[in-house]
Amino acid sequence: MSINNLVTNLSRLTIKSLPITRWVHSSNPLLFKTTPILLGEPLKKKKRMDPAIVRAREERKKKKLEKAIRKLEKHARKLKPIGECEIPFDLLDTLNERKRSLPALSSEILDKRALLEKRWANYKREQRLIDVQMLDRIQYSQQRALDELRKESEELYQEAIQPDLLLMPYKVEGPVETPPIENYKSPDGDYKDVSKVW
Amino acid sequence: MFKLNCLLLQRCSNNVKYAIAIRKESGTVSKEKWDIFAAVCLERKPVITPKLNELEKEYEELSKTIEFERSVKSDFELRHESEVKNLEILKKGGELDVEGMLKQTAQDLKDSWSSEARQFQPADRITDADKKNDGKSLKRKLDKHLVFVTNQTIGKDKFYLLPQGSRQDGETLRQTAERVLKSIVGDELKAQIYSNAPIGFYKYKYPLEVRKENNVVGAKVFIYFARYLKGQLPQKLDYKWLDRMELDKTLPTPYKNSVQQFLIDE
Repeated sequence: MSINNLVTNLSRLTIKSLPITRWVHSSNPLLFKTTPILLGEPLKKKKRMDPAIVRAREERKKKKLEKAIRKLEKHARKLKPIGECEIPFDLLDTLNERKRSLPALSSEILDKRALLEKRWANYKREQRLIDVQMLDRIQYSQQRALDELRKESEELYQEAIQPDLLLMPYKVEGPVETPPIENYKSPDGDYKDVSKVW
Repeated sequence: MFKLNCLLLQRCSNNVKYAIAIRKESGTVSKEKWDIFAAVCLERKPVITPKLNELEKEYEELSKTIEFERSVKSDFELRHESEVKNLEILKKGGELDVEGMLKQTAQDLKDSWSSEARQFQPADRITDADKKNDGKSLKRKLDKHLVFVTNQTIGKDKFYLLPQGSRQDGETLRQTAERVLKSIVGDELKAQIYSNAPIGFYKYKYPLEVRKENNVVGAKVFIYFARYLKGQLPQKLDYKWLDRMELDKTLPTPYKNSVQQFLIDE
């Protein structure tokens, strides 16, 4: 191929670089003439596949995808198991043994309990009402402060009503039964977390 | 109940009326000049739960018994029962496998556990600070909300008030509150201010001479709410941590009402 190219180029070169010189012959020189090779060949025939096989292959692909989708959907609906909610079978099997045989409650005790429940409900309702009033009182106080601020300066008011972004990762440790002991060292060993990771 | 509900509704409608009145008022430009102050109400949350009252105790007892009645026996209880049965068989002269004899019985375990539990002494709910009535200590009255007050001179008199300071130019009110708090409690104490908006408001007028001199009518104090996180206060400072009752006694009267308006009841 390369030699062929070379020859072609050379033949052109001669034409271009041919100056008008003296000729021995009266006619123009013939020079070399080549044509580039096309390197063509007849196209190969495509292999014909059996349409049944093609269809079967596509079907198999489709089924595989469908199966994957179904599997994903199944897992999406499945929630993390909660240990306490699922009763182990050995407990269910021995349920009759485990039942307590307590004496039946007398009507007196039942009455007393019912009365206590009522008193409790009343107590909680009153607490709730007091809470709602308290919240209203606090809201009122804040609204008054904001209104007074607005009277003084609109700018300051606009700054004050912006949301407080610093507040957001919010952590509270609630009140406990007894106060923490200072410099207390736990007598037990290391804490090991054995909860399963799902 | 109906009465209380009515009261509630009245309260709410008062708020609405108030808001409307404010809108109207703000239309006219106020010519009076007021100083703007920011104050911080620093509060410590209760560390321990409050004592239960009679009804609460009674109900706690009831819910415990009901829970027991509805429960089923645990493995430990079953083991204890079977051991008691075995002992009876042994007393009657029956035979038992040696394996069961060598083990620690459930009763033994229970006794050892409860003796171990008895050895542990939880900290006292009443602390040394309570016994000494040390108003400066954060360890007093663990079951109460405590509010931080400092001794301040207003005019000629001294009062215990919430830490406060005047606003400087270019500051938002929240920044003033933060600066004021830091300047008084120092760097060691960590506190978190809740929200950019003030929670309470108080205003007072200056004496006449001062008013004429500076052409300022009085001061408007905007109170921010903050929660104590951790750290100690500088010892030199004249301050107190007060619960609601003490606050009621210590704060001057008109100021007290403004502060108590936004505090949570106990």
